[in-house]
Amino acid sequence: MTELAQRLGFANRSRRVGTGVSIPVVIILVAAAIFLLVGSLVSPIFAQQTVAGLAQGAIFASLALALVLIYRATEVVNFAQGEMAMATTYFAYQLTLWHLSYWAAFFLALLMGFLLGVVVQVVLIRPVQHSVIAVVIVTVGLFVLIDGLVTWKWGADLKFMPAPFGNQVYHVGSVAFSRQDLGTLVVTIVSVVLLWVLFRFTKLGLAMRAAALRPASAALVGVRVNRMLAIGWGLAAVLGAVAGLMTEPTVFLQPTMMQAVLLYAFAAAVLGGLESPAGAVVGGLALGVFLNLIGQYVGFATSELRLPIAFFVLLVVLLVKPHGLFGRKQVRRV
Amino acid sequence: MGMKGRMLAAFAGALVVAAVAVTAAFGARQADPGVTATSVTIGGTFPLTGVASLYKTIPAAEKAYFDYVNDHGGVNGRKINFDILDDGYNPAQTVPLTQQLVEQTKVFADFGSLGTPSNLSIWGYLNSNKVPQVLIATGDSYWGFSYKKYPWTIGWQPDYPGEGKIYGKYLDAKMPSAKIGVLYQNDAFGKNYYAGLRVGLGAKKSNVVSAQSYDPSQTNVTQQILALKSAGANVLVIFALPTQAITALVTATKVGWTPDATLLGNVSANRLFLLAAAANGANVDGVISSAYTVSSTYAPQANLPGVKLAKAIIGQYAPSLVASLNQGDGNVIYGLGAAWTFVYALQHAGKTPTRAGLMAALKSMHNVNNPFTYPGIRMNTSATDNFPIEQEILVKWAGGAGGDWTPFGSLYSGVR
Amino acid sequence: MSRRLAIAIACFLVAAAVVVLLPFELDGYHEGLAAKVAIFFIAVLGLNILTGYTGQISIGHGAFMAIGGYTTVIMSHDHHTNLLLTLPLAFVIAFGFGVIVGIPALRFSGVYLALVTFAFAVSVPQFALKFSTFLGGSTGIQTATAPGHLWLYVVSWSCAGILFLVAWLVLRGRTGRAFRSIRDSEIAATASGVTLPIYKTLAFGISAAFAGVAGSLFVLATNGFAQPNEFGVFLSLELLVGAAVAGFGSLWGVLVGAIFIALLPTVSADVPLIGSAHGQDVVFGLIVIGVMLLLPTGFAGLLQRLRTLPGIRTAEKEG
Repeated sequence: MTELAQRLGFANRSRRVGTGVSIPVVIILVAAAIFLLVGSLVSPIFAQQTVAGLAQGAIFASLALALVLIYRATEVVNFAQGEMAMATTYFAYQLTLWHLSYWAAFFLALLMGFLLGVVVQVVLIRPVQHSVIAVVIVTVGLFVLIDGLVTWKWGADLKFMPAPFGNQVYHVGSVAFSRQDLGTLVVTIVSVVLLWVLFRFTKLGLAMRAAALRPASAALVGVRVNRMLAIGWGLAAVLGAVAGLMTEPTVFLQPTMMQAVLLYAFAAAVLGGLESPAGAVVGGLALGVFLNLIGQYVGFATSELRLPIAFFVLLVVLLVKPHGLFGRKQVRRV
Repeated sequence: MGMKGRMLAAFAGALVVAAVAVTAAFGARQADPGVTATSVTIGGTFPLTGVASLYKTIPAAEKAYFDYVNDHGGVNGRKINFDILDDGYNPAQTVPLTQQLVEQTKVFADFGSLGTPSNLSIWGYLNSNKVPQVLIATGDSYWGFSYKKYPWTIGWQPDYPGEGKIYGKYLDAKMPSAKIGVLYQNDAFGKNYYAGLRVGLGAKKSNVVSAQSYDPSQTNVTQQILALKSAGANVLVIFALPTQAITALVTATKVGWTPDATLLGNVSANRLFLLAAAANGANVDGVISSAYTVSSTYAPQANLPGVKLAKAIIGQYAPSLVASLNQGDGNVIYGLGAAWTFVYALQHAGKTPTRAGLMAALKSMHNVNNPFTYPGIRMNTSATDNFPIEQEILVKWAGGAGGDWTPFGSLYSGVR
Repeated sequence: MSRRLAIAIACFLVAAAVVVLLPFELDGYHEGLAAKVAIFFIAVLGLNILTGYTGQISIGHGAFMAIGGYTTVIMSHDHHTNLLLTLPLAFVIAFGFGVIVGIPALRFSGVYLALVTFAFAVSVPQFALKFSTFLGGSTGIQTATAPGHLWLYVVSWSCAGILFLVAWLVLRGRTGRAFRSIRDSEIAATASGVTLPIYKTLAFGISAAFAGVAGSLFVLATNGFAQPNEFGVFLSLELLVGAAVAGFGSLWGVLVGAIFIALLPTVSADVPLIGSAHGQDVVFGLIVIGVMLLLPTGFAGLLQRLRTLPGIRTAEKEG
């Protein structure tokens, strides 16, 4: 059984760190950006769809960031990421019911999310982390468990939280930008930057990267590998909490609120490269804009096909670049 | 005939009489499944978990009504036992659960089951087993039309195409040169609503300049609203589930679009949802929808018997629903109204109720006044009319972020 | 005949005897439940061939079940095909789709493969909504006749038995060895002459074919009604859970895995307090997590461990 566990657990650990930003990809992205800019100047509806797509994409990106962080830290995909995000959002809601202000509830929920992530990693993931399949299944079980617990405590009817950024709308020409969407975008970008700073410039970040990539060597130099993995999950859960709180103003609070977002977030994360936070953001934004524009201009692409189209795009990108837009090719030693 | 012969004949005669008496008594005692001397057992499948679970207040309200009736002696001395099962809006679960109700729990009837695909997956089974499938919670019109093939099935609420037709008629009469933009869910629910709208518009259906569908998995309908706006529509019609309806209203305001009129399918017209839309920045004043039940929040209706009864029953038998009732959750009144109809039918189903009797009672309602329906609405069914409620009133929102639906105009009748 | 083979055949015969005699004890409703076990048995068997024996993760087998299910319904609805005849047809069509999915899947492994198959699972039900005139859309599509409990029981268990033998024969022979070598080391497999693309795609095809038959029976068990909600993401995840509980890489645990996912919801429904709707979710989640933490190699692994207990070891040596 162990050979199988190893095989499925993807235990080949020799690969390089960091994102692989290749020239062709950069050229394509710049070209796309120019296309969007020109299109927006020419047609107001194009501009509005692009802006709306960016707003939607920011939400995909924020959850995709959490998925990427977990993958970078522990090389597994967490199917319960969305549900953990949902649970922390409900926790924030409960805090507002207890008369805390929105932002106080926000930050307390982030803290709670961190604790949740750490506890999940230590109690549930650590015993089975050698096997991808086992982790997938444990996270599936966690998905159902969290869903049941949240529905039990708060019920399944729609609930509403106060709006984090207010309801104002700014107009540039005939294009409307809502403060909420801008806020979401800003929060997402700030998260990526903070993450980058953490990994690049802090000792903790270095220790986390070492623990993820060369656990044996890292342990030899005194890195507490297990603790780093737990912190990684904690941080990912914080990102998930941010995603949940940014999603709430658009779909409101119900136990199923993150399930559709999770699907698109998977697509965005893999699209950008499962190891690249920047990739997750670019992937998310690109996906959001692409889906909106396709929906507007291609008649056949009706709403039933949104999800299949997202995954078809993913498939095409993966066939050309099997590790996503910003992923690095992995060298596997036998 | 000799003495012996006469005795034999008398004896034979007595035997025959005894046999007849025994079989008659046996026959009389053999009631339909689910019926005992002191109880009637019914059951239904509902989405208590999963995507449609915001409707779970409906079976909760129904149970409250049955509890109330049971406390007042039940129906002809029989208490109603109501089994509420969760099918998660998944027909693969609806079927085995319904089979369990019929074959294990042996229910008298399948009552109030919610959801079109769920009911479609079991109506063949229930009808071939002659189990009543009654007052099901869906507004599709299949149940009303297919009574010849599926005589044991009947719905309750006014159907979606009928409601869409009312909106079409309203627009045809009041805004004959409107440019209409329609947002609809891409399944039968939304499509049927839209089809009804076109029927109501009649010759004016060319006024629809754009119709955009969305997938239930989509939570953001900005792209569709933008498309409708850019097509030049000045009337917005929304046939959507609550989440998307609220976001549609909010988005329309956010992208700077103020249609001359907004019409909203009543599935999403629960007061709570409009309050949420307003709280998120939508312009909700003037939004039009329809209603067929009494309102628990509209002040002029506060003294209606149905409203007072609703508050009393929920207060005593379902206290967890009190908060939403006081905020105007229409699903609670819906549940009470459907349960009331079942109890009415059960009362008219025979002293010992039979399944056939139940169906006969449901299909021969004549101007029945359900206290939970809007004043003036009557339930009518017949051998050829399988739609219990075919009247609705239009309502318009007034009062902004703390407002309510205000009825206007007169009852639309015969929407079918 | 080796001792192991003799034991295996004996177990199989005992199981077969139980299956044949059971309907005389059960009423219709419980026959339906037993049929459900058979259906999941077939699906988990197929998944095990792909993931357990060939090492390719799939979180998309619900989609192959959908393909098989819709094949059956459309043939019956549009062409009034005999329901039994639709089963081999579903087998073949699902096989075809398995090969089609298997070809791009050659490029991926591990997590990426899991996500690609997951994407497939999510997309297939959407096509039923898009092409609603042909595939019924959200109001579903219905077979011409709906089978009863006994028919379902007999047919499901017959298929389960036949397909089990097929799986056993395939896995015993050269193909099975090729699959296992791919799982253990692709490079070593290629070095010893196994053409990877052919065998990997074959594994996908066979595994999908099994799921297709399971899907046909699944729809027939739903009164012959096929609708996208029946094939949600969770179905694929459930199959994976069943395969994990069974234990990857072994056929003997599959029955246990199938019983687990087929009957747990029904059984936990009777437990008070927990039996409520969200209570069942909590129980399912806890048990899945518990099984993976305590029994990571599944039931088959448990059997393996029991076999290495001292008493049994000496008995085998003597034999």
